[in-house]
Amino acid sequence: MDLVDLHNAQENDALFTTFLHQVREKYELDHAAYAGMNPISGTTHGHVTYSSDWTTHYFQNKFHEIDPTLAEARRSIAPVDWGRLGERDNFRAVFNDAREFGIGDCGMTIPVRGPYGDIGGFSVTRDCGEREWGLLKQKIIGELQTLAVHMHDMVIRADPLSRVLNAPSLSTREVEILQWTAAGKSQQDIGDILSISHRTVEVHLRSARQKLSSLTTPQAIGRAISLGLIYPR
Amino acid sequence: MILVIDAINKEKFGGVLDEMFRLRARVFGDRLGWQVNVANGMERDLFDDLDPAYAVGLDDQGEVVSCVRALQTTGPHMLADVFSDILDGEPPLRSATLWESTRFCVDTKRLGRGRDRNSVSYATCELMIASLEAAKQAGVTDIVTVIDPVMDRVLKRSGNAPYDYVGKQADMGKVPALAALLDCTDERIERIREFGGIEEDVFISDEAALALPAIKALSEQPNEPQDDLAKYCKEQIAMASTDEERAAALALQDALGTIIRSRPNCDA
Repeated sequence: MDLVDLHNAQENDALFTTFLHQVREKYELDHAAYAGMNPISGTTHGHVTYSSDWTTHYFQNKFHEIDPTLAEARRSIAPVDWGRLGERDNFRAVFNDAREFGIGDCGMTIPVRGPYGDIGGFSVTRDCGEREWGLLKQKIIGELQTLAVHMHDMVIRADPLSRVLNAPSLSTREVEILQWTAAGKSQQDIGDILSISHRTVEVHLRSARQKLSSLTTPQAIGRAISLGLIYPR
Repeated sequence: MILVIDAINKEKFGGVLDEMFRLRARVFGDRLGWQVNVANGMERDLFDDLDPAYAVGLDDQGEVVSCVRALQTTGPHMLADVFSDILDGEPPLRSATLWESTRFCVDTKRLGRGRDRNSVSYATCELMIASLEAAKQAGVTDIVTVIDPVMDRVLKRSGNAPYDYVGKQADMGKVPALAALLDCTDERIERIREFGGIEEDVFISDEAALALPAIKALSEQPNEPQDDLAKYCKEQIAMASTDEERAAALALQDALGTIIRSRPNCDA
């Protein structure tokens, strides 16, 4: 299943929620949530798939002020399995109540850092046993990392000044690799042409996709052409 | 044994981190002659204030024998700022699944030659394995590591040869530095394990680490004076008598968090 293109989310905030719902379906999760802060615009942003009953209860009890999966987890660099926070009083306070709303305590928060002090947390949860959770986590963690940064970037770029500051800045090598990709060359071909390993090609391509806020290479090619970074051929 | 310390558990291991900063001062300041800031015998830079993750090697007593630091390439990191000469004016790679590793070092004074558990070779392999495995568990597929030519040779000789380099070799003070790429794959980890003769799990849990004699001794020492603001927040949290007060104190600490953490030389 394809995920919705967040490039139009600047005009339509609801797309972020749609995106989270799709992530939830695609990765067999119960819920997905994003919370972030943009120090440049001085704004905070939140999008969730949780029921409105739970979010109302959450804010009424000011759980956002104590929830360790929100504030503390965001300071890590690796995804934080909620098991690491389970012993804390503040975690118990939030998740004892969460259980009554059908939300389990198997989950993780993926911390995101942007270049200008902007930070975000992308969290997912599934009500299941620890073993099942462990297996699922290892399977989806890499893709979720990429999606978390993608969503964060799009939320931050909804602010006009941040959009200018975060304009994609590609290296010569990244442009070169995109150009060869647009010409129909495979990663192996490009590696041979440029005398670099195909893994180097892959790393640069991944970086280019992230910078161009694209989830797929064709999307990245399209954007690179529209920005005048490469030319169609 | 490798202990991973990040923002979540660093409160428990303040003493270990100080020992790590002392090791870095001895290695990068004294032995290698890098242009680094050493204060009170500890080498720290502004990236240490950004809650990086550290992999810290401990001997059986709990003494720090090696360390390395990891940061995300999506946010502030060394190649984007201080090591930008290596990239020759090019923007750095930015990817959710690429981490940057810096300040890799082992204590060559404390460790001996040879291949046993207390050798430089063993400590180096153990730390390399831990960095790759920790990254892999986090869904990270590649590491870009800023190293000097000596370390580059060490990597090549221990089954951990970089698959490529980015940018060019650039002078960092007295010594050249370069940025190498490593894949976090089972094949690479297996090569290093084979070279080092290491089969066991290299990680140590928080609980087991706290029980090691040297770390126990560190935690029994009185805490060093902290930043007033951080200290005030801690006191407020400790003094809170109701849930409401505690929540308010935690919220204050969180709100002041960026200021507290970024206080020392963050204008760079």
